[in-house]
Amino acid sequence: MLTQIYVMFFMQYFIPSTAVLLCNTHLSRGLVAYQKNRDVEPFRLTAGRIHAASSHSTVSSSRAASMHWTGERVLSIVLLMDYSIAAALTLHGHWGIGQVLTDYVYGDVKVKLAKAGVLLLSTTTFFGLCYFNYHDVGLCKAVAMLWQI
Amino acid sequence: MALLLRTVARQGLCLSRSQFGVLYRHVVPMGTTANEEMNKFWAKNTRLNRPVSPHISIYKWSIPMMMSISHRGTGVALSSGISAFALAALVLPESYPYYLDLIHSMTFGPQFLAFSKFALAFPVAYHTFNGIRHLAWDLGKGFKIPEVYRSGYIVVALTVLTSIGLAAM
Repeated sequence: MLTQIYVMFFMQYFIPSTAVLLCNTHLSRGLVAYQKNRDVEPFRLTAGRIHAASSHSTVSSSRAASMHWTGERVLSIVLLMDYSIAAALTLHGHWGIGQVLTDYVYGDVKVKLAKAGVLLLSTTTFFGLCYFNYHDVGLCKAVAMLWQI
Repeated sequence: MALLLRTVARQGLCLSRSQFGVLYRHVVPMGTTANEEMNKFWAKNTRLNRPVSPHISIYKWSIPMMMSISHRGTGVALSSGISAFALAALVLPESYPYYLDLIHSMTFGPQFLAFSKFALAFPVAYHTFNGIRHLAWDLGKGFKIPEVYRSGYIVVALTVLTSIGLAAM
């Protein structure tokens, strides 16, 4: 993987288009590396020193490996997304319901009780969503699956 | 600071007004906080069983009014839905794909499915777009009445279009 990154940095001087790709998110590194595998043959100067891809099977396994690498990064982002969404939704909902309470509930005792109830609900909701993210398919995947019915 | 003054005043430690006047020319120590005043109001009126004057039953409904309460309504509905989902995830024995297959096996018509997707997408879209409208207000933009109505119509139009688009997916 490191060799691929080294070659990519060299490649942007030989093939300007790869420079644009490099500027994108690190997710595209896997794709750039995939592209690099096909471009590397004519540029023996740098490629010969660093990447010894001569046989077809090595190239195709590198392609598979780099796609796997991309898949891993995508999954990390999705997982990050799942938990970020869980946190954002529960916090936003907690504060929102809190405002509704402030508008409609009067009296010190009632307010205290209501706020405690909402806190309990929000905590349980967050815990439930994290449980879902960990043990089940996760929020993003769940929406995607639901929409495919 | 005002709160401190009020507390001091209530406990009878307040010195003569002129002494405070020198330091805080425009601050008058009060006996109660705003919250306490409000609680006193509600306690007294509910105790005396006084009827509340008609307000939402007699005031003419306007688009901004309807959109405002809809923003709250969709917010509460969405929050309840998420809480229900989270609780179900904790309580129900089987996994999500199992229950999804259960729904899938029920062979609902395509129109019903499209409508259900629309019904799910609509509150999310409305709350999101109206939320952006709220954020614009928070930046101080769009408070003129024609602007309020225009942004309101845009939000509704975007909501309908987005919901139809999502339901078609």
